[in-house]
Amino acid sequence: MAAAMAVRALRALPHIRIPALPASCSLHTTPPRLKTRAARVRVGKGDKAVTYEKAHPPHYIAHRKGWLSLHTGNLDGERCAAQRAVEDSFVRRFLHGTFPGCLADEAVLKRRSNSLLVCLLLLRRLPPSKLCFLLGYAETLLSHLYKCPVRIEAQTVPDAAVYKYL
Amino acid sequence: MAARRVGVSSWYRVLSLSRRCGRCSSTNTALGKTVENSEGAQEEIVLPRRKTWDKLAVLQTLASTVKRDPTAAHYMFHDDPYLMPKNSATARLFSLSKESGRNAAKYIIKEFPHFFDKILAEPNIPSLMPEICTPQIEGVSEEALRERINLRMVKASVDLFDQLLQAGTSISLETTNSLLDLLCFYGDGESTQEKESEEKEDLEESEVNASEQETPKRPPQRGSHPFASRWRENNNAERIFKIMPERNAHSYCTMIRGMVKHGASAKAYDMYTELLNDRHKADVHTFNALITAVPFLKDRFLERWELIKMFLNHMAQQEVQPNVQTFNAVLKTLRRCGGVGRSMAVPVIKEMEALEIEPSLATYDHLLSIFYRSADLASSGIISEVLDDVEKRSFTPQDPDDAKFFISAMQVCCDLKDIKLAYRLNKAVEKGDNWKFLDMDRLNSYWSRFFSLLCMMEQIDVVLKWYKEMSPSLFYPSPKNILDFLQALDAANHLEMIPSVWEDMKQLGFSKRRDLLEEVLSLMSRDQHPEEIQLAFAKCAEDIKTVHEQSGRDQASVEWTGSALGSVTVLFSRAGRTQDAWSMMERFQQINRIPTDLVMDEFLNCAKQTNSPDEAIKLVKLAASLGLPSSQKLKSRVEKEFKLSENQKKALESIQSDSDSSDSDSDSDRD
Repeated sequence: MAAAMAVRALRALPHIRIPALPASCSLHTTPPRLKTRAARVRVGKGDKAVTYEKAHPPHYIAHRKGWLSLHTGNLDGERCAAQRAVEDSFVRRFLHGTFPGCLADEAVLKRRSNSLLVCLLLLRRLPPSKLCFLLGYAETLLSHLYKCPVRIEAQTVPDAAVYKYL
Repeated sequence: MAARRVGVSSWYRVLSLSRRCGRCSSTNTALGKTVENSEGAQEEIVLPRRKTWDKLAVLQTLASTVKRDPTAAHYMFHDDPYLMPKNSATARLFSLSKESGRNAAKYIIKEFPHFFDKILAEPNIPSLMPEICTPQIEGVSEEALRERINLRMVKASVDLFDQLLQAGTSISLETTNSLLDLLCFYGDGESTQEKESEEKEDLEESEVNASEQETPKRPPQRGSHPFASRWRENNNAERIFKIMPERNAHSYCTMIRGMVKHGASAKAYDMYTELLNDRHKADVHTFNALITAVPFLKDRFLERWELIKMFLNHMAQQEVQPNVQTFNAVLKTLRRCGGVGRSMAVPVIKEMEALEIEPSLATYDHLLSIFYRSADLASSGIISEVLDDVEKRSFTPQDPDDAKFFISAMQVCCDLKDIKLAYRLNKAVEKGDNWKFLDMDRLNSYWSRFFSLLCMMEQIDVVLKWYKEMSPSLFYPSPKNILDFLQALDAANHLEMIPSVWEDMKQLGFSKRRDLLEEVLSLMSRDQHPEEIQLAFAKCAEDIKTVHEQSGRDQASVEWTGSALGSVTVLFSRAGRTQDAWSMMERFQQINRIPTDLVMDEFLNCAKQTNSPDEAIKLVKLAASLGLPSSQKLKSRVEKEFKLSENQKKALESIQSDSDSSDSDSDSDRD
């Protein structure tokens, strides 16, 4: 009673908008958009070239896909998985910037005992001497940054392998 | 892994059990002991001494199981067809670009050390941490000066020294001496200098070679000197030296060595006389420097030798022990002393042996160049004695000139045309650590010379075996190597390998070199060959034709020469490709050349084989239009050998009238 009187009193004032207190709950008539969007390339007109890696959504990992980053941090009793993840993301951004437009696919990072192996797939956009320069630069800088031997194994392809067009 | 571990422990249990059983059992004949003895006496367990292994022992053993891969490039290159070098120029370019990438990274680490100094590794790896290059101690004091000297900051330390002097503080002799050391080492420039020294050294070597052939009087002091910076008049080092209140032997020695290093040899000699006047003793490095400066002090050979002897006598008087670098310096100076050098070199070596100083590779290098530099290679036999010594031991680097030994030795073997010496030299390279003296560049020129020698001296199957094994992994053939190889194939009558050599040439990037193309074409077209080889040759010729005609994007196409065009025509004709041959013939006019008789005969043969009389008539027309004297002969040949139709016979007749004077032309017109 008092609440209803208060609501009516407030309604008299023209400036304040109050939500109408519903008497009953209404049903959701449109479903909420619950689609997962992680690591999926959405189907488009058919002109988007997509590699095997990008074409498969993440539930295919260990079925049709492998891992892009291999380390023992996620095994039972092992520590520092989060640090490895941070290092990986930094290395990928670094490579993306150092080899502008030359990366054909995501780099695969493998950690073997002390060392970090970066397996790169490069396009033949730059002349080979410039690629050698960038590879030497990246190896030295990354080893000094992470205090471990970093080896880059690069392979060049004429153009990126297209799996399908979406 | 876990199973294996269990297995190991169980194996130990079995061993211990067997040992116990061994003690108890009576029939242990393997031990050769009787029952009473084994039960009575204590079994002596002889523990073997613990072996200490080198840190790299496992890696070395693994490496010894793997032979060299003849198809792989040097391990420093990425194993990828795009990133693998194809000839020696690209090999050098890629290795240098990789190194410059590393230097760029090191520059960034030096400029921004605060990004790289977090310690992530346990234990810490000092080589991956940034170096401290900025001086920590501020203020004007002697410790600050010493720190800057340690950090090799030339200008800053000189400024600080001047400030200290103005402030009136006395600086100790040691600090002043170390400042002098720094200045004399860097010659008043900064420590980060361009490495022009190597190229200048090569220049100097070639100049010296040229000059040694001339008369003993050398032209006066050349401007070029191995080091980029020169000793200026009254530079900082001299100034500081003059204002020093007290000097000791070390100060004089440093100044002398700095002056010699930067080209002021006369001043160095004056400084030396001052040192003697002050009754100090020089040390062995100073004497070495003075001996290397002798060629710049005197011109005549005998005077140089006298000066060297004087320095050596002073050394003996001051009781300074010579070392291997002293003798290397003596021999290096003797290199520029012509005949005197040749006669004095062997006694110098004998002195070295008497003093029990082991010669280094640089000693042998100087010896070889003393005795084998002139054109008339007097058979002195020194090379075999030198090889005897070198084969026996594994050398460590003691002198910067050591690295040149293997190359000059191989050059001497090539000049002497002795293949056995070359094989011995190869064995010497493989012994112990000697391979470390050959870096990638030197490796290339060493094996290049070896291959030239092989092509000259050995049988073709040996040459082919080496060729397959060595190129392109161990060395990249130079154009001269390819020419020698072609000549060796020619001498051994293996000309059918030429198409594969052409493939190699294309891969090495020599496909536009005119001398190689001429050689290949002339060898192919010289003689008649069986059918398949001829077809292969024709395909090769077609390839070469495309090379000539490629109007490339950034390169000019190779011009045709008369002989090349003729060879290609002959090759097409011999393979029966008439159309191609005719298109070649048409090009002769384009380049204003005349085909030889051989070419035209071959073309007619081809036309006869393929039964195309039209082509034959076209040829006669061409010959007539060029006004060749052989056109008559050709015409008669065509008439005789070809079955011609009426039209063709008429066409042939008309050609004849063309070649006569114009009167007959007008006559026939009127008819």
